[in-house]
Amino acid sequence: MKRFIPHEELARDSRFVRQDPAQATVLSTLPDDVDTVVNVFQQFAPMIEAGVQGTSAQPLFEELGPGFMLTIINEPLDADGPAALPRLLLRMHGIFVGELQALEGAARSIWDFPDAPWEFKMNMARQCWDEARHIQIFEKLLIHLGGHVGMFPESTFLFEAACSDDPAMRVAGVNRGLEGLACDVFRDMIRYAEKTNDDVMKQAVDYVLADEITHVRFGSEWVREFTKGDPEHLKRTQDFRREVDKRFSFGGARSDREDAAIPIAREDRIEAGFTEDELDELAQISGEGPSKDTLTAAAEILRDRYKAESAARENGAAS
Amino acid sequence: MSERMYPGLQADERTVFAPYSAFEIPADLRELHGRYDVEATALRVRNFRYAEEWIMMMMGGWIATIPELPVKTGLGKVIWETAQAADEFGKRLPELRCGRKALDASEASNTAFSDFIQAVAEPESPPLTIEKLTGVFDVLIPHLVEIYELHNRETDAICDAPTIEILEDIIRRKHNHIQWGQDVLDALCETDELKQRRRDRADHIRSLLTASGGVTGVLETGQGSIN
Repeated sequence: MKRFIPHEELARDSRFVRQDPAQATVLSTLPDDVDTVVNVFQQFAPMIEAGVQGTSAQPLFEELGPGFMLTIINEPLDADGPAALPRLLLRMHGIFVGELQALEGAARSIWDFPDAPWEFKMNMARQCWDEARHIQIFEKLLIHLGGHVGMFPESTFLFEAACSDDPAMRVAGVNRGLEGLACDVFRDMIRYAEKTNDDVMKQAVDYVLADEITHVRFGSEWVREFTKGDPEHLKRTQDFRREVDKRFSFGGARSDREDAAIPIAREDRIEAGFTEDELDELAQISGEGPSKDTLTAAAEILRDRYKAESAARENGAAS
Repeated sequence: MSERMYPGLQADERTVFAPYSAFEIPADLRELHGRYDVEATALRVRNFRYAEEWIMMMMGGWIATIPELPVKTGLGKVIWETAQAADEFGKRLPELRCGRKALDASEASNTAFSDFIQAVAEPESPPLTIEKLTGVFDVLIPHLVEIYELHNRETDAICDAPTIEILEDIIRRKHNHIQWGQDVLDALCETDELKQRRRDRADHIRSLLTASGGVTGVLETGQGSIN
C-alpha cells in the first residue's frame, strides 16, 4: 500500500458525487470587487451547474444561479430566512463530509508516517474513533433534519488542502486548520440549535465540539514536537497553516468580521491551545476576502443574469 | 501469656491469628511455573505488539480507500482499540526487563511473519474491501486470539499475571472485532462468487501465516494448524 494518496482517490459509495475543489480555492483568493467576483463565477458557471445536476443543490442553483454558494456561505443561518431548510441541510451535509475527510486524514496520518513517535500514532488512532463517531452523529442529524447522505456534491478540498506529506504540516492542516474550522462551525450550529429549540442537535454538536477541542490540542502539541529545534521547519509549517486557514475562511464567511456568517469561536480555540496572537492573525487572514456587501451584490447580478439567460433559452425553444 | 497483636522475638511470642496459605481464602488452585520465562514472555509481548501495531497501521491506510461507509466508521473504532492493545503490550515491556525505553518496541518473530503482514496489508484499491477485511478479520485476528488464549493457559498464572490481565482485556475486544468483521463480510459477500473470493483470500493468507509459524514464529495450537 502506497504512502500518501491524492484527494481524488478518497473512496466513496454510489450516493456521492464530487464538487470541483477549485470553487473553494477561488473563494479564498477573490478581491473585494463586485465585477471580479461576478466574472470569476460566470466562468465557473458551466462547471457549477454540471456539479449540482441531480442533487438537492439543483433547485438552489435554479433559484439563485451560479452564485448560489455565495448566498449560502455568506449569510448566517436563519431559521426564518429564505431557503432555510436547504441551507441548513447543505451546511449539515458539508459538516458530514468534512468529518469523513477528517477521519481519512487522521487515519492516513497513522499509515503515511510510520516513523512518527508512538504517542502521535496513539493520538491519531483516538482521533479515528472520534471522527468515526462524528460521521455517525452527523448522518443521524442529517436524517433528523430530513436530509440524507449524498444529497449534495462533496468537495474534497478539506482533505486536499490539509493533508500535506510533511507530518508537522499534516497536523497543522488537519488538527489546527480543519479542526479549528470545525470549532467555529460547531459553535455556530449550537447557537442555531438553541434558537430553534433543537435539543437533539444542540447536545450532539456540543459533544462533538468537545472532541474537536481535544483534536486541536493534539495538533498544537505535535506541531511543537515535530518542529522542535528547527525554526525553518516551524516557519514553513506556520506558513502552510496560514494558507490552510485562508482557504478555510471561504472569502471571509468564516472570520471575525461583523458580517461573518461563521464567527471565529475564540473561547473554544483558546481552550484548544490557540494563542491570542494566533487568533488575531487568523482574524486578519480570514477577514481579507470580499465584504459581505460585495458578495451580496455579486450574487444578485449572477442570479439576475442566470434568470435572464434561462428566460431567453425558454423563449428561443418556444419559438 | 497475653494475646499478642504482633510477633515478638521469642518462640512463644506469636500472634493469635490463625495460619492460612496464601492460596486458601478464597481457594486458589493456581500453581507456580509456566512454559515461558521472563525473557520468553518479553519476546512474545514484542511479537504481539508488532502484530497489533501493523494491524492498526494498515487499517489506518485502508480507511480512505474503502467505499463502504459503515466499514470506514467501524474500522475507526477497531483502530483505536488495536492501538490501545499495542500500547498495553508496550507498557508491559519495561516490567519484563526490556528497559524503560521499550514502550514502542515491536519485533516480528521472523522475516516470514513480516512478509505475511505485508501480504495482509497489500490490497489497496476501492473494490478490494473483501480482501482487506478477510485477511485481518477471518485469519489474522482469530490467530492472535488463539495464541493469546494459549499464552494465558500456559504461562505462569501468578508470576505472569500482569500479562494475563492485559491479554484477557484484549481478547474480549478481539472477539468483538472478529464478530463485527464477520458480520460485515457476510453482508458484503452476497453472491457465490463473492463468497469464493473471501474463501480464496482466506486460504492464501492462511497458508502464508502457517508457513511463517504465526505471530511467535512457532505453530502452537497443538493441532499442527493455525485457526
